[in-house]
Amino acid sequence: MPLVKTAAIVLHSRKWGDADRIVTFYTMRLGKLRGVARGARRLKSRLGGMIEPFTLCQLDLFEKPGDSLYRISQVALDEPFAKFRDDLTLMTAAGRMVNLVSAVMAEGDPEPRVFEMLESGLRTLLESRDAAWTTLLFQIRLLGMTGFRPQTEQCATCGQVHRSPLPQFSPMAGGIVCERCASRQPFRCTALSRGSVAFLHQALHMQPALLNRLHAAGQVRTEVESAIESYVTVVAGRRLPPVDFLTSGSPV
Amino acid sequence: MSVDQQGLLAKLVRELVRLPGIGQKSAQRLAFHLLKAEREDAMRLAEAIQAVKDGLSFCRQCRNIAEGELCEFCRDPKRDRSKILVIEEPSTLYAIERAGGYRGLYHVLLGVLSPLDGVGPSDIRAEELLDRVKAGGVEEVIVATNPTIEGEATAIYLTRLLKPHHVRVTRIAYGIPVGMDIEYADEVTLVKSIEGRRDL
Repeated sequence: MPLVKTAAIVLHSRKWGDADRIVTFYTMRLGKLRGVARGARRLKSRLGGMIEPFTLCQLDLFEKPGDSLYRISQVALDEPFAKFRDDLTLMTAAGRMVNLVSAVMAEGDPEPRVFEMLESGLRTLLESRDAAWTTLLFQIRLLGMTGFRPQTEQCATCGQVHRSPLPQFSPMAGGIVCERCASRQPFRCTALSRGSVAFLHQALHMQPALLNRLHAAGQVRTEVESAIESYVTVVAGRRLPPVDFLTSGSPV
Repeated sequence: MSVDQQGLLAKLVRELVRLPGIGQKSAQRLAFHLLKAEREDAMRLAEAIQAVKDGLSFCRQCRNIAEGELCEFCRDPKRDRSKILVIEEPSTLYAIERAGGYRGLYHVLLGVLSPLDGVGPSDIRAEELLDRVKAGGVEEVIVATNPTIEGEATAIYLTRLLKPHHVRVTRIAYGIPVGMDIEYADEVTLVKSIEGRRDL
């Protein structure tokens, strides 16, 4: 049973048995993995507070042959991101970030850049004045990095360079499609203005450090949010809880 | 030996496997135990299960487990009706009662909000709590959900839901367990306990 030490961010944690938790991490060295924290829900356990979602920590794990679950033996806290626990807007936005990482990354496929992006995304969110916008940019960047880059230069179906005055975004095809291909799509496409396509293209090709300088409002923001939302649903294979999940509508 | 064929024993194993925390091996062990047990013992278990399903339901007022329309706490005239303690599941209620010290009423949410799993306000009994507050007579609502992300989300949501109705909403304290050495406490609990300090 080799011991593994790695930096990790908690993606999800759920109750297991009488007093245990099964925790999904995204780790620097091993990528996404699941581990069992024995007795974590007991009062005397030191693990409980360290394996809450969004926590950045240093993990000591044991791998058990023939078992897909690691054994969590020790956790050292780096950053609890405590602010997310006190604010529903930040909490649901951070929830969307970790949910998307969990959905697009397979277990046992390490990608240190994704770990760094998630850590930086959560840190940016802490300082953000517009959590929904920060989360949208994070999603566009993550999709671009993990092989789900939305096609913005040519038709995602036939490859023809598009010059349509009213481009259509097809979540099933994974990007902009020409008018002819749009009419053949089994699911409804989202109409995007030229400005929205240009914004999406810029967001996908901009240097990560400069990404947070990008701004959009009105029609462009609404269209891009709608297109990314429908695309994420296709990529994840299910509808992820939206950024305003607990804050939209009455009474909150 | 695996009970994987069709038949009465396999049917019992299939039913036992559906229980929380029971895997295939445990289910087989329980099934064989029941098979070897005296008929009276096995029937007593069957009758107890049937009696629970026939005789117990959720309290109309607080959603605790009840024999009849109201649970024992909602029926008790000696309980302080100006306080409602909100919990996630009925099992928590009995832990608080065992501890003593609280003489108010309860409200069981039968769930908890989860921003990660998409469990929203319509999936828990929050509206029923609001109705109780609106009905009047309640001065304080104590939110005693677990100190997890889900429990905190629920606490914040309930605070926003209830505050406009001029009721005091409080949260149970975080801190070091009684009898424990502070040096062995985890960092998150330590920080929370310092933040939640009180005057002496």
